Formats: sequence, C-alpha cells, structure tokens
Amino acid sequence: MVYTRRSVWPLVIGIIMVAYAYLVQSGNMAGLIKFLNTGRYAGEMVTLGYAFGSVAVVVGLWQVLATPREGHGDYYLSTVAGVMFIMLVAFIVKWGLDPLMASWGHAARPTLGFDFASVLNLNYVVMGILAGIIVVNVFKVPQWAENGVRLSRLGLKTGVILLGALYSFAELAQLGKLSVLMIGVFVLGSVWLVLTIGMRRNLPNSMTGVLSSGVGVCGVSAAVAAAPVVQAKSLEIAYTIGTILLFGVLCMFLFPIVGRAFGMGYIQFGAWAGTGILNSAQVAGAALAFQPGGIETLKVAEIFNITRVLFLPIIVLWLAVWYVRREQAAQRTVQQVDAMQVVISKFPIFVLGFILMFLLSSTGIFAPARHYQGSYFDNSEKALVRKDRAGKEIDNHLTEKEVATLRGELDKVKRPDQKAALERLAQNRKTMSEDDDALVRGVINSKALSKEGTAVLAKAHRVVRHTAPKIAKFRDLIAWFFTFGLVGLGMQITMSSIRQAGGQPLVIGSIVGVIKAVGSLIVVLLLVAETI
Amino acid sequence: MEDKFDRGSALTVFPSDRHEDLVALVLSLVIAALVYFLV
Repeated sequence: MVYTRRSVWPLVIGIIMVAYAYLVQSGNMAGLIKFLNTGRYAGEMVTLGYAFGSVAVVVGLWQVLATPREGHGDYYLSTVAGVMFIMLVAFIVKWGLDPLMASWGHAARPTLGFDFASVLNLNYVVMGILAGIIVVNVFKVPQWAENGVRLSRLGLKTGVILLGALYSFAELAQLGKLSVLMIGVFVLGSVWLVLTIGMRRNLPNSMTGVLSSGVGVCGVSAAVAAAPVVQAKSLEIAYTIGTILLFGVLCMFLFPIVGRAFGMGYIQFGAWAGTGILNSAQVAGAALAFQPGGIETLKVAEIFNITRVLFLPIIVLWLAVWYVRREQAAQRTVQQVDAMQVVISKFPIFVLGFILMFLLSSTGIFAPARHYQGSYFDNSEKALVRKDRAGKEIDNHLTEKEVATLRGELDKVKRPDQKAALERLAQNRKTMSEDDDALVRGVINSKALSKEGTAVLAKAHRVVRHTAPKIAKFRDLIAWFFTFGLVGLGMQITMSSIRQAGGQPLVIGSIVGVIKAVGSLIVVLLLVAETI
Repeated sequence: MEDKFDRGSALTVFPSDRHEDLVALVLSLVIAALVYFLV
C-alpha cells in the first residue's frame, strides 16, 4: 500500500506558514497582533512559522513532483503532511480563535452579564480539540493528512517524557506519595467494582475483564493491553473504547467547569483530573483546559496519570489470574499465566523515559539541581547586577531608601528568626540565603508590614529567584507537544467510534466512571491541600 | 479509520505501543540535547 497522496495542499500550507512568519517578522501584522493582543506569541509565530513552513514546503514539493513507492520512506514521510495539517489548525486556534474568543467574551460581558468565553472555558486547548472533532466528523480529515494524524499520541507521550525535566525531588516525593495513595484506592477500587458488577450481571468474563482495565487504569491503552490476556473479542474492545471515549470526552469538557465552580487550585484539580478521568489523553486535555496559560496543573495531573499507568502491569496480571480462575471454574480450558512475562511485556516504556528525564534534570544540567518548578535561588553579584538590552547596568540590591523603610518596620515582626533574616537583608541589601528567602516570604504572607514595607520584601524575594532559560524552553516545547497531540486526538474522536458504546458495558462503565469521578472529587476537596 | 491502514493501528503508525514509547523516548532525548546545547 502506498501512503503518500499526491496533493498540492501540504505545499500550500507550507507557503502560508512561511508567509505568515515573514509578515509577523517584518511588522506587517502589527495591527492584527495588537487587535488580538497576541504580542507575547510574536516570537514563536516567527520561529514555528519558518520551521514548520520550510519542512512543509520541502515535503510538499516532494509529494507533488516525486513518484512514491511502497516502503518505509513512503510510509513515514507521508506522516509529515498530517503533522503540518494539525499544526496549521493549532496555529489558527492558538493565535487567532483563542484571543478572538477572549475578546468577544469580554465585550459581551455588559450585555450577557457574564464572560461566556471564561464560563464555557473556551480556551485554545478546548477549541483545539473541538476543531479536531469538527474536522473529522463534519469535513473529514483529508486523505493526504490521515496517516500523520496517527502521530498525535506520539506527541502526547513525548510531552509526558519531557515533562519529567520540570519536577524537583521535593515536588515528586510529595505528589508521588499522594498519588500512589489516591490512585491505589481508585484504580484497584474501580477494577474490583467493574469485575463485581460484571459477574453479577453475567457479562462474559472477557468483556468484564477488558472493561475493568479500561475504566480502572488509563483508558484505551489499558483496554488494548488487557485484551489479549482475557481473550477479548474485537466487538468487546470496541464497546469498551466507545464507553471510555464517550465518558472521557464528556469529562474533559465538564471537569474544568466544575473545577472552577468549586474554586479548585492547580494541585487539587490536577489530582482530581489525574484520578477521575478515564483516559490518559483526556487527562492532559482537561488539565490544560483548566490552566491554558501555564503547565502547573498539567504537571500534577500527569504525576497521577503516570502513577496509574504504572499500575497497568499489576492490573493486567490480576486480570490474567482472575480470567484463568473464572474460565477454569466454568470448566473451559485456558493457558496458564506467566506472571513475569505479563509484567515485562506490559510495562510502559515511556514512563521510564519520564523518570530518565527527571533524573537527568536532577543532575542540574537544565537548571540548578535545587530548582523548584524551574525557579532557583541565586544572590550572587552576577545575578543581581545585570545589563538591560541597551547595555545600561541595573543594580537590583535594595536602595538606601528601601533599607530605611525596612529598618523602620523591623519592630512589627515578632518572630526572632524572621526578624534576624530581615536584619541580615537590611545589612547586606540582599537576601542572604535560601532559608532567609523562605522567612522573607513568610513575612510577606503574614502581611505584618505596611504596603511599602511588603513591596520592599517582595522585591528582595523577586530579585534572588530566577527562572532557568532551559526550563522555560522546555515549558514552551511541552505546551506545543500537548497542543499538537490534543488537536490530533480530536481528529481521532469519530462519532462512529463513540456510537460503539452501548448495552451493559456502557451502563457498568458509566456507573463506575461516575463513582470514580465523584468519589475522587470528594476526597480531593476534603483531603488535598493546595500547597505542598 | 481501521480499514484504511495496513500498518500500525487506528491510533498509531507504529507496530506496537512499545515501538511508539521507544520513538517518544528517542525524540525526547534528542530535544533535551538540543535544549541543552542551544539554549
């Protein structure tokens, strides 16, 4: 089978991307950028426009001029056109529709009484997935792009592995403990519940087994992984995938709205989405939809998601043993289970990649090893005295006036350790250690000083905290990998695959899915604090 | 989409999840190296 479809469209897309990048770079789009308030994206408009546009032009020319022959070259090169198609949709949504909708939502507020873009959570993540769903179900994905759309899950997995670079030991240790506890309860509980209800309703063992894995662990991948060990039939896998997709898509759009209604913070929402949403891809979608301007929620949600993915080999082993026992009890012959073989064959390698990236980052090659969320402490002269773009020196030590303000308010601080830290700050005109920085933050939060005094402390804190440029780059790249993956994911959610859901599997899946979502919401609201 | 492809599956171009994981791992390491050397 030859996968490359002769079409002029990849070339046209490439020319559009390069032309747009050139127009932005030359300042010809300044009016539009100002109108949409997208100045912060101007840099990436130029870089990504040229980068993806050039590739699309080269591959587009090859597709028009060359005669592809069946083989690896044709198979993998034909994916490039689909990648460019997804990226074009992502660019339009992120740089055009998202700011436009925000602007309309704001403008309609006096008339409607609420900001519809904010209430309906119409950010680039939600609109990107919706755009994908509309493209595939209303217009159909063009034939020349179909093969490339199947790379979207690769994008999501690469994003998850790269995300490993952004965690610190402290963060991972504390979130890890919480996630193992919550995921342990909810994953094992959901699998057990599906198995129990399935047995009571006399569902075939293969159907119950594959459904329990999909609903309990991480969705479609888990269902596919468990299918061979419970000898599930194609129709049973299709029922499970339909149920998971239907439930997952609903959750992806509803969770952020509910999260906002409950006033949840990043950690609470991340923990809830990572536990309560059935499918891995939709976890990322909901987390980014909840916080489109940053990835703190995504980081928390992915720790929970990775924890449950780690449960997959255990669950598959459990199901294999359960299935053999059930079938033997029904006096049907089945093959015995090789536990070690099941665990090794089902272990998700991309989770190892995430851990590897975290370990690499922990050596300090991307940011000082003690960084927290990419931010690190540095009070050296080099860090405090810098030059601006014009070459003018900027000294970030406290000024004499600021020191005088601080000294005048020292008596308002009662705690001896905090007072000593402020005295050291006033004496040296800079925060002297990471511990002192923590104490200064404590005084800021206690609001013990006047507005002016607190402003001095805020400056003292701000100038010794720095964001590592490499970590900042990782953040940008990760956000784009997830955007690509989620738009492509939308293009794989066809109505025909959702319509596959039905009958007993849909009833059982929905009951357990709702219990899991509501149960994890209650646990998160009651037990998970917003700070770690 | 299943019937349209004779390689991979409806969700991926790779022969298995493990292949996809390994490609994601290699891609991530290449990107990490680029960030390390260029940023």
